[in-house]
Amino acid sequence: MTTVQDGKDEVLALNRLARERLVARARREGLETVGYGVVDSPLGPLWIAVGPKGVLAIHYGAEPSTAELGRIVRTYGPGLLPDARRSDPVARELDQYFAGKRRSFDVAVDLSPLTDFQRRILGATARVAYGDVATYARVAAKAGNEKASRAAGQALTANPIPIVVPCHRIVATDGTLGGYAGGLEAKRRLLALEGGTVPLGGWPKKRAM
Amino acid sequence: MTDALTFGDLLERHEREIFAYALRLTGDRDDADDVYQETFLAAFRGWPPPRRGQERAWLYRIATNKVIDRARRAKRLVRMNDLRLAAPERDGVSMADLTMAMKVLPEGQRAAFVLRKLQGLEYDEVARALECSEDAARSRVAEAMKKVREKMR
Repeated sequence: MTTVQDGKDEVLALNRLARERLVARARREGLETVGYGVVDSPLGPLWIAVGPKGVLAIHYGAEPSTAELGRIVRTYGPGLLPDARRSDPVARELDQYFAGKRRSFDVAVDLSPLTDFQRRILGATARVAYGDVATYARVAAKAGNEKASRAAGQALTANPIPIVVPCHRIVATDGTLGGYAGGLEAKRRLLALEGGTVPLGGWPKKRAM
Repeated sequence: MTDALTFGDLLERHEREIFAYALRLTGDRDDADDVYQETFLAAFRGWPPPRRGQERAWLYRIATNKVIDRARRAKRLVRMNDLRLAAPERDGVSMADLTMAMKVLPEGQRAAFVLRKLQGLEYDEVARALECSEDAARSRVAEAMKKVREKMR
């Protein structure tokens, strides 16, 4: 005998199949521009969006912020669809990273929705190697303006692709951790994963470059 | 989220009810699948939704038109083999009512009946979905109910 619950489950299963076909058709027609998925990580759920040119966002939490979404929609239109096939390769690299088996990322990142200054700061950040740290001032200097360390800090706080663009490796000149979009505990854990124990308040002054 | 409604949001929010609606109007999983896909693809192509806050009625309007278009094209017997999957969850409407509605109501009236009695839309939303006045929506639903109840006797 078929119960109402069986019927509901069956409808949900049919709905899922219909959704998969819809996404495939939307992609064929060029309607889908950005695919997203949510993955679990040791730092909690991460919302990952991948556009035509690469990773657009890794957001701490299961849902993107309005600002994040607005930025993507302004650049790529409203064609965001849940699409694990787009986010899976990123998720895989993140898993390897969290397991200590990956020191740099191979996935392409797309910084085109950002300002030129943000792009330069994040570009300089991306060159800070696994296990190293740099100061906001140093990143600002690398980006062409050593006096802009406060602006560099802001650009890093707004980094849409944390972990892959390793803004957690950027600390304050006095050796304290500075800020982090995912929270200081997340920053501390990422740095610990890459290089050992991090003192609660950061490092003493001489350790930071 | 005023400047950032995405197609994915709309899909997440409404796909289940639109799929159930398609199933309740067609009674067939393959037809429901087609209606669901055609509805959301049309919404995607026609982006953005015409009015903020009325996206739900917009989707129902597209879906209803897709069902009516199909019925006009196909002119075949309703199969109804999958109607049990979309069993009504609301008081006052039984599976037998829905089956009878499938048999005796023309598409437009059936849509009004299902929108109000099963999908739970308010009359203003039913009206927007069916592109008619609220009064017309009320009388269509009442007429449909009357027909179904008469046949059930």
